[in-house]
Amino acid sequence: MNLAGTRLLLRFGLRRDRVLVTAWVLVLVATVAVSAAATGPLYDTEADRVAAAEALNASPAIVALYGPILDTSSLGELSMTKMTVLYAVFVAFMSVVLVRRHTRVEEETGRAELVGATAVGAAAPTAAAVLEAVLASLVLGTLAAVADIACGLPVVGSILFGASWAGIGLVGAGIALLAAQLSSSARSVGFLASAAVGALYLLRVIGDVTSATWLSWLTPFGWGTQLSAWSEPRVWLLLGYPLLAGALTALALRLRRRRDLGAGVIPDRPGPAVGSPRLRDAAALVVRQQGPALVGWTVGIAVIGTLMGSIVPSIGDLLDTDRTRPVIEAMGGAGGLQDALVFAIASVVAVVITCFGIGTVTRAAGDEHDGRTETVLATATSRRLLLLAVGGAAVLGSTWLLLVAGVATAIGRGDGLAAVGASLVQAPAVWLVLALALLLLSVRSRWAVAGWAVLALFVTVGQVGPGLDLPDWVLGLSPFHHVPRYPSEAFAWRPEVLMTALTVLVLGVAWTRYRSRDIG
Amino acid sequence: MSNPIEVHGLVKTFGSTVALAGLDLELAAGEVHGFLGPNGAGKSTTIRVLLGLLRSDAGSTTVFGLDPWRDATEIHRRLAYVPGDVSLWPNLSGGETIDLLLRMRGIDPRGTRRDELLQRFELDPTKKGRAYSKGNRQKVALVAAFAAPVDLLVLDEPTSGLDPLMEQVFNECVAEHGAEGTTVLLSSHILSEVERLADRVTIIRAGRAVESGSLDDLRHLRRNRVRAEVSGVVPDVSRIDGVHDVDVDGRVITASVDPAGLSGLLAALTGAGVVSLTSTPPTLEELFLDAYRTTP
Repeated sequence: MNLAGTRLLLRFGLRRDRVLVTAWVLVLVATVAVSAAATGPLYDTEADRVAAAEALNASPAIVALYGPILDTSSLGELSMTKMTVLYAVFVAFMSVVLVRRHTRVEEETGRAELVGATAVGAAAPTAAAVLEAVLASLVLGTLAAVADIACGLPVVGSILFGASWAGIGLVGAGIALLAAQLSSSARSVGFLASAAVGALYLLRVIGDVTSATWLSWLTPFGWGTQLSAWSEPRVWLLLGYPLLAGALTALALRLRRRRDLGAGVIPDRPGPAVGSPRLRDAAALVVRQQGPALVGWTVGIAVIGTLMGSIVPSIGDLLDTDRTRPVIEAMGGAGGLQDALVFAIASVVAVVITCFGIGTVTRAAGDEHDGRTETVLATATSRRLLLLAVGGAAVLGSTWLLLVAGVATAIGRGDGLAAVGASLVQAPAVWLVLALALLLLSVRSRWAVAGWAVLALFVTVGQVGPGLDLPDWVLGLSPFHHVPRYPSEAFAWRPEVLMTALTVLVLGVAWTRYRSRDIG
Repeated sequence: MSNPIEVHGLVKTFGSTVALAGLDLELAAGEVHGFLGPNGAGKSTTIRVLLGLLRSDAGSTTVFGLDPWRDATEIHRRLAYVPGDVSLWPNLSGGETIDLLLRMRGIDPRGTRRDELLQRFELDPTKKGRAYSKGNRQKVALVAAFAAPVDLLVLDEPTSGLDPLMEQVFNECVAEHGAEGTTVLLSSHILSEVERLADRVTIIRAGRAVESGSLDDLRHLRRNRVRAEVSGVVPDVSRIDGVHDVDVDGRVITASVDPAGLSGLLAALTGAGVVSLTSTPPTLEELFLDAYRTTP
């Protein structure tokens, strides 16, 4: 294997990803710190902790989502319930994104060819990509352990937990590297790797909630729980991560040596020789491009909504401690608590759904950057139709997903249409964020990416704002802050109508600007 | 009827960069017009203004007598465009892309010459966009452009990436469309390519047209560089009409020759017993230098 130039490529990759990796690591570490710091004060006594842990274990939906709690008296395990398995998915995805970005994406764009023709070794780009993901995983694992220790959790448990996260990162890198050998399309590689991560997660879900518990031992997502980091740890289980990642990487490297640059192991299926008569204008083109993604999103949102919804009925038992009881009663008893949870689920899922819309807008920006928009606008397609198609797909697709989320939550909860309402009242806030993304696209196509930053800003303000006692006007910057807290509180027309009107206004400005700017 | 393309004093700036500094360009109906210039001269910028993708800062631009900024879609119904760097949708097959582009121009692909063109260009329409090489991406755009009759073809360096055989097919297609009365704007930085096809040529440099006219008008730009070695006495060729810049080095003569002076020079060289002879057409660089000299 010729590895000449690996160090150079690794440095270059880290430079390209400095913002992405830093943000990803910091957000996850911050989440760990907040969970570690917040759980202790909530459950003073061991009896409280046991009660809460048993309530968690009693709900199949929660076990499906977070995995079981093995030692019900452990503060560490309770604090890290969500982190151990569910948030480990985001750790795996960090590696997937990094490896895919530096392998298959580079090949698809032809940049790999450019680099490959220089004096770097044939295996160097692959090695650099994997090394970067490994490095990022190790840093993330270490910082997560440090965050736990700093927030007062046991040292050994914290280190083992951090190690399990680093391990999941390694596995993610291996999965992505293998997927990158299979298909010649970067999008398909992303899909294959995500599907593999999802399948491993699902394997653990089945193992954790059915009697086939051995299934949980087969997947790295099960190891996080079975490691039992916080009491009587099975340290040897940590070996599983590097072994699995190593095996995946070795297989990927074998496949890599056998294939040509730019080709995939799975041959590209030929497409139709003639176009369907339905594929006839800009709108049909956007549907063709975003349709498969929307189907995938619909399935994903339906699953998440159902799972989240099924947690709702058990929330009362979960938070039933001496300390929380008065708070719950102030909220109107268990029923009020459930309503609050339904709203909370709806607002989180709405943020996730907004990502679909922003993805649609940034994809249009990519089309313009690559010159495809120019080709379309040189036909009889008007700018109005093009912007309408992109905006329509983003807004209508997101609204559809909100409806799916609401219905799924209602089905999961097995009770009432309140969840549907809770999801749909989020719509004006989602529209407004998407209108801002479209405005960015309309000002300059390169700015469309900043749509992600706008969403991140709003979410951050909503998450940390109340804790930091930020002034009201700062909190009010986020459209999601103005959504009526239905069903906890009565539905209010005023903020909804105002946000919708603002959306129309922003879209109007976007439209005027898009008509009068240069394309390309 | 007005000319299909009329551009007068076109100015386009990007920030502090002046891309077009008062460009003039006129295309008569039915002519194949070569649009020559080095990279960065402003050829693609001009074409994008003509397509209404960029807004001009000053000057007047009309296509079919309409304003390309205001009436883009109306104009586009009557033209086909091939960009210099074709980017395809990665997940659409070539055939789907061709049909989509045709339908977007309001044309039903079933009544067109697309299948015949696919054969002539030897293009596999079932491959996905991401799998095509640069030359094949170019072919996809060319088939979509040539498949249906239009009033105007706008081709921006369309043969980059095509092999000589395919260039030949391309030349035939332009000639066929030209014979049908289609107006063609053919941008290029290669003189010989344009020379074969174009009725008239406009040469631009640094955002300005420096020369415009029929190829005969531009004859003075087509001065060949001749290098010859003789076995006998070196003749004095500098007196021959149309021979310039004579340089003698031992038995080797080099000179610039107008087409009119070529036979006189050859006669003199033959008399002196020529043993080797090369004649090089002017490079684009020399052409532009010439063009600059002849412009006030």
